[in-house]
Amino acid sequence: MAAARVTHDERLSRYAELAVRVGANVQPGQLVEVIGRVEHAPVARAVTRAAYEAGARYVDVYYSDQHLRRALIEYAAEDVLSWTPPWLLERAVEIGDEHAAVVALTGDAEPELLADLPGERVGKARMLDLAHENNRQINEQLNNWTVVGVPNEGWAKQMFGEPDTDRLWELVEFCVRLDEDDPVAAWQRHVKRIGARARALNEMQVDRLHFTGPGTDLTIGLLPESRWQGCESETAAGIPYVANMPTEEVFTTPDLRRTEGVVRSTRPLALYGQIVKGLEVRFEGGRIVDVHAAEGEDVVRGQIETDDQAPFLGEVALVDGTSRIGKTGMTFFDTLFDENATCHVAYGSAYAEAVEGGVIEGVNVSTVHTDFMIGGPEVAVDAVLPDGTEVPLLRDDVWQLVSDT
Amino acid sequence: MAGARADRLERYAQLAVRVGANVQKGQTVFVNSQIEHAPLARAITRAAYSAGARYVDVHYRDQHVRRAMIELGPDAALTYEPEWLKTLARANAGEAQIATTGDPEPDLLSDLDGERVSRARMKGVTEIYRQQLVDRSVNWTIVAYPNDGWAEQVFGEPDIERLWEAVAACTRLDEPDPVAAWREHMQRLEARSAKLNELAFDSIHYRGPGTDFRAGLLGNARWMSALFRSRDGVEYVPNMPTEEVFTTPDCRRAEGTIRSTRPLALNGEVIEGLQLTVAGGRIVEVEADRGAGIVRGQLESDERARYFGELALVDGTSRVGQTGVTFFDTLFDENATCHIAYGFGIPEVFDGEPGEGMNVSNVHTDFMIGGPELEVDGVTKDGEVIPILREDTWQLPE
Repeated sequence: MAAARVTHDERLSRYAELAVRVGANVQPGQLVEVIGRVEHAPVARAVTRAAYEAGARYVDVYYSDQHLRRALIEYAAEDVLSWTPPWLLERAVEIGDEHAAVVALTGDAEPELLADLPGERVGKARMLDLAHENNRQINEQLNNWTVVGVPNEGWAKQMFGEPDTDRLWELVEFCVRLDEDDPVAAWQRHVKRIGARARALNEMQVDRLHFTGPGTDLTIGLLPESRWQGCESETAAGIPYVANMPTEEVFTTPDLRRTEGVVRSTRPLALYGQIVKGLEVRFEGGRIVDVHAAEGEDVVRGQIETDDQAPFLGEVALVDGTSRIGKTGMTFFDTLFDENATCHVAYGSAYAEAVEGGVIEGVNVSTVHTDFMIGGPEVAVDAVLPDGTEVPLLRDDVWQLVSDT
Repeated sequence: MAGARADRLERYAQLAVRVGANVQKGQTVFVNSQIEHAPLARAITRAAYSAGARYVDVHYRDQHVRRAMIELGPDAALTYEPEWLKTLARANAGEAQIATTGDPEPDLLSDLDGERVSRARMKGVTEIYRQQLVDRSVNWTIVAYPNDGWAEQVFGEPDIERLWEAVAACTRLDEPDPVAAWREHMQRLEARSAKLNELAFDSIHYRGPGTDFRAGLLGNARWMSALFRSRDGVEYVPNMPTEEVFTTPDCRRAEGTIRSTRPLALNGEVIEGLQLTVAGGRIVEVEADRGAGIVRGQLESDERARYFGELALVDGTSRVGQTGVTFFDTLFDENATCHIAYGFGIPEVFDGEPGEGMNVSNVHTDFMIGGPELEVDGVTKDGEVIPILREDTWQLPE
């Protein structure tokens, strides 16, 4: 209720402060990169101010525009679709070399903008060299970074059927704990709780996970070196940061060779401006061998054809019913939020930080990384230990291990 | 009506792409815009791809980000130039470029420390773009995007539709076939510059209330219209609108007094009633009813700022002049009437090396001196005086 009384400027600056101080954890003297769309300008500007106030050496804001992407997909030659302008690559390299702090903004202002375009071209229209460079930086843990959502009319309309931006702001504030009197302290408690889950899972030395539910019977093998991670990450230089706001998951990197079975997604997936609904995927020997969807099948197919490693898993994440995102009962049509509503897996690139030894054999490297939701009250999750013992992890959306108490 | 307006933006973008920058098949098109210009940048992007562009690369800027840097950033941030921004600038060579103007918040920086505002410049990047002008390696244009803030500055209220109508009139978008109208218009301006070149004046003499000014011309400098040709042979129109024929004067030969006839917007301030005294080519005295300090400050910025770099002639047929509007944007205001500029000369007007007569400086500020009361004469080497403008009417045969 307090949120209703703050002015819009206060709302923006509180949010920006959280992104800068807790999320990216901007250090004095750091270069800061803000990456957003033109529609995100109000938050990009507030983040810029907060970053300078936190002692940033320089703040660079890069605005992208989905309308330009649409024009590219509509008109450009095939070989240009995935081209990276050299200056943009050089800029990305500088972000890595300078160990910049990065604040990335999401929140699609026009979710239907690409819907009428051929899915295959939509899937291919990604700057591949830039994606490789970004992957490298994530794997080498060069940057302290965060992703936050920017409420806007188009996104609100997609969620509620009407452009109620204020309602979306209140939901987002709830999800990122800005409704708390002391959001920073609330985040510290939260990070601790999820961290304890990750520790408990690491102590168990899980060999594989087993998901069972309607349309789902999926086994995901882990590596002996797989490490479960909570909300907080750390750069190679030791700067802690919270890469996603919100975040509710514990996640790890699976063995890309050991996924078997079928899985049915339990929530819609927003991908490259299209909505994928009723996604069903079958795995054999780790590889996606079959893709079906009630809507948006082509865009998934186009994406997993991007490179050889795209059709293998790179992440598995566990989320229970205490998730603030899950509690809203809303579908946000934005991975940042929806993946934190419930359990999910991602095909494409893995997070090297979730593996002892980094990019070893069995760790997937790809230019794509797409999370889709597979959890919910009807999906049971078990850990299978090396000796075959099955340990229930989730039943009816309730976390079964005692680490939480 | 909504349909007609949407169509107007597309037609405007077509004009910028096909006539302005004259985008060639296979070129990359670099678009530089403030984020508030996104609707026009998007329309330009579509028009450029339709014209055969290989790739359209839009670089958005945000004045609020700049404001935060000046207000809150450390000193070093003011002059920080990322290397990739220079790479982006260099990539423009051989390609097409379209910039959009139209300040959505003209007062945004006005309460900041002026010294920090003027220090916040990327000199290395500016130098790369300046060298591309000298090398004529880019076919480029500037067009304006009407927006609320700009309309408010012009009319005192955010009457964006009125501003659109004024801009449409100035850029000939109100014609049934704007592209054809522009071809005809540029031909007429070309004919004027050809006539002036044929007459080979040695100097220009301006007379009017508060003005009695003689500027020497250079034998190796031509009169031109803004129909430029890049080193790759692409004809382009760098400013839309454009109504002027212009040349670079001999920076060593200027004498007399000048009184400006229209307000001048400079660094977010408005200067009115500017009066300059010139001796030996040099501005030696600056007075103004308002804002003289801004001009004096600019003239101090480098050694050669107080010498002249451009003379431009505009008559009463100017569409910009006919609107009667002060746009507070040089792109428009300099095309309302005759103007001159102190600061750097325009290299395009020279066939070979410009030589010592062309002024070289980091500034270039146009201010308006024309109007019905201004008489402009050309003076030949033999001292023959030939009227060029009387009562805003072009006197030479057309």
